[in-house]
Amino acid sequence: MSAQRIGPGAQALRGAVIAYQWTLRPFIGAHCRFHPSCSHYALEALGTHGALRGAWLSGRRILRCNPWHPGGYDPVPPASDEPGRTAAPSADAQSFQPVPKG
Amino acid sequence: MDQKRLLAAIALSIGILLIFDLWNRPAREAQLAQQRQAAEVQQPAPTPGPVGPLRAPTDAAPAAGTPATPAARLPIEGPRVKGTLNLRGARLDDLVLKDYRETVDRNSALVRLLAPREGSAPYYAQWGWTAVDGRTRVPGNDTDWAAEGNALAPGQPVTLRWDNGQGQVFEIALALDENYMLTAEQRVRNAAAEPVQVLPWSRVRRENTPPTQGFFILHEGFVGVLDGRLREVTYSDAKSEGQKRSGVALEQETGAGWAGFTDKYWLTAITATDPAIRTRASFRHVPEGGQDRWQVDFAPTAAQSVASGAAASLATRLFAGAKEVHLLDAYADRLNIPDFDKAIDFGWFYFLTKPFFYALDFLFKLFGNFGVAILVFTVFLKAAFFPLANKAYKSMGRMKVLGPKMQEIRERYKDDPAKAQTEMMALYRTEKINPASGCLPILIQIPVFFALYKVLFVTIEMRHAPFFGWIQDLSAPDPTNLFNLFGLLPFDPTQLSSFLHMPVWALLMGATMWAQQKLNPQPPDPIQAKIFQWMPIIFTFMLASFPAGLVIYWTWNNLLSIAQQWYIMRLEKQRNAKGGGAVAIPAAVPAAAKPKKG
Repeated sequence: MSAQRIGPGAQALRGAVIAYQWTLRPFIGAHCRFHPSCSHYALEALGTHGALRGAWLSGRRILRCNPWHPGGYDPVPPASDEPGRTAAPSADAQSFQPVPKG
Repeated sequence: MDQKRLLAAIALSIGILLIFDLWNRPAREAQLAQQRQAAEVQQPAPTPGPVGPLRAPTDAAPAAGTPATPAARLPIEGPRVKGTLNLRGARLDDLVLKDYRETVDRNSALVRLLAPREGSAPYYAQWGWTAVDGRTRVPGNDTDWAAEGNALAPGQPVTLRWDNGQGQVFEIALALDENYMLTAEQRVRNAAAEPVQVLPWSRVRRENTPPTQGFFILHEGFVGVLDGRLREVTYSDAKSEGQKRSGVALEQETGAGWAGFTDKYWLTAITATDPAIRTRASFRHVPEGGQDRWQVDFAPTAAQSVASGAAASLATRLFAGAKEVHLLDAYADRLNIPDFDKAIDFGWFYFLTKPFFYALDFLFKLFGNFGVAILVFTVFLKAAFFPLANKAYKSMGRMKVLGPKMQEIRERYKDDPAKAQTEMMALYRTEKINPASGCLPILIQIPVFFALYKVLFVTIEMRHAPFFGWIQDLSAPDPTNLFNLFGLLPFDPTQLSSFLHMPVWALLMGATMWAQQKLNPQPPDPIQAKIFQWMPIIFTFMLASFPAGLVIYWTWNNLLSIAQQWYIMRLEKQRNAKGGGAVAIPAAVPAAAKPKKG
């Protein structure tokens, strides 16, 4: 239900992320192992899932973004009205996991 | 690439510079004002100045504007403080710190903490009573107290006495310790037939607005811990709050607690000693003749009722001195002053900044130079984060082998950087390599390095501490300037504009930052990449006016980052040379990338 409208909380958080992108990020350098990068992921997640779930998703993404995780393409799960259902990966994501590990 | 975007980036950079200059200007002016003021205050000091010889209280020179008879003064002679007590009004309004000087020059004036009302920067502590019953004659600002004792010194307490002529005798017993703590016991003895009701109070009052540094990471103004809660109110906030509530910016009841005024390095604060007595502490702003007056006062919530023939007393403490961490810690322990070390603005990252201070202080005592302590401590911090950085570069060897593949992707999606990025990520994933260390390690490091920065900013240990060469004061900006060819040209370019200050250490910082950036991956967004390139220049200008100690720290940190990167890469090369890391590129790579095409 919060998928469409962006609430004030999400808006504020998005503002903070954008502020980070324009100030801190150029300074400390971009070190993200993912595409889209953590900050872009956060912007999108906050936009589609609202403040609470968006922040939760972004937080998990940042925790994943460490040297022990392979990184790579990792899009924001699409908005879904049924919380139980796992979001299907997008067509793009599927085509990027072609090779079995080994 | 895109001209417009480049222009936008440049415009933005200049904008940041201008804003920074505006933001920094009050601090610069404040510094000048402070120096002027320091020079002024030295003159009208009521007794022979701070470094003058001890005199009997009676021969104080009459200051202009005071009543016909000059106020008597009692000398204060502590190991670390020197001054006089104003016996008219029971005011402590003349105190200098013997261990600190205004400038690096060893012959410069001692730092003056408290100054009388007659001067240009009145700042004093005072003890008094309010008549709650409305009829008891209580001592006032013009009351001349009789002193019992010749001078106030450790182990040599002094009692001030005043008889109101109506049967009540007021006494203030003062004792000074080896450092900066004064104990004041206010006593009333009632010999009259009727009981009296009085409220003993103590206050610290500042009758001008002191120049502040104006940095948002440093609090200056009202400070206190009342009922376990740290309260920090700036002068401007106190003014706007005070205007809403008839001068009271903050009022709070407390058990044990303390409050007063803090400068960057100095503190004057009242402490409630008895946790069993509820005390009301107030932060006030009072405009008086167009002047802003600031006041912190303490008074018990209940008035003292003194029956006929009885006496009542209240003890408080007054701290007036330098905010030395170990000293404040010791007072907090010994005198049960809750969170007294919070007078130093350790900030949100207290749990990091405080231990960092202890570590720095330990190294300082070990090496005898605070600059060296900073360098060594930074090495330790870097070493602690080394495993994270090392892990990230484990895949460096493979990256080299994949070079051609990456180049191919880049060329194929020349017009679509986002697409190229996606493809690249896919490649990394299939190859189980990734050139970036990730956001988490960076995010963890930010508070750590910010904490170090903060400690360097607030700690008094850096004040007037020399480094090597031309750096005589780590807490002041590097004095050298490129714009007069480091002193070859006989003029001061900063007179024209504060932009025209470009010290050696700032240039070194910019150069090392630029070099370090070359080793970092660029942001994917082209505009951000442009700002990224401008960052070393922007920072060189921004840090030009920062304390030299911080600029040296930044420079050193950059150098260490470069060295670390170089070392890891060499390590990886050796590993690969031994054969362990040599990997045949699986044929899957092109297959992985190709389906996406077209």
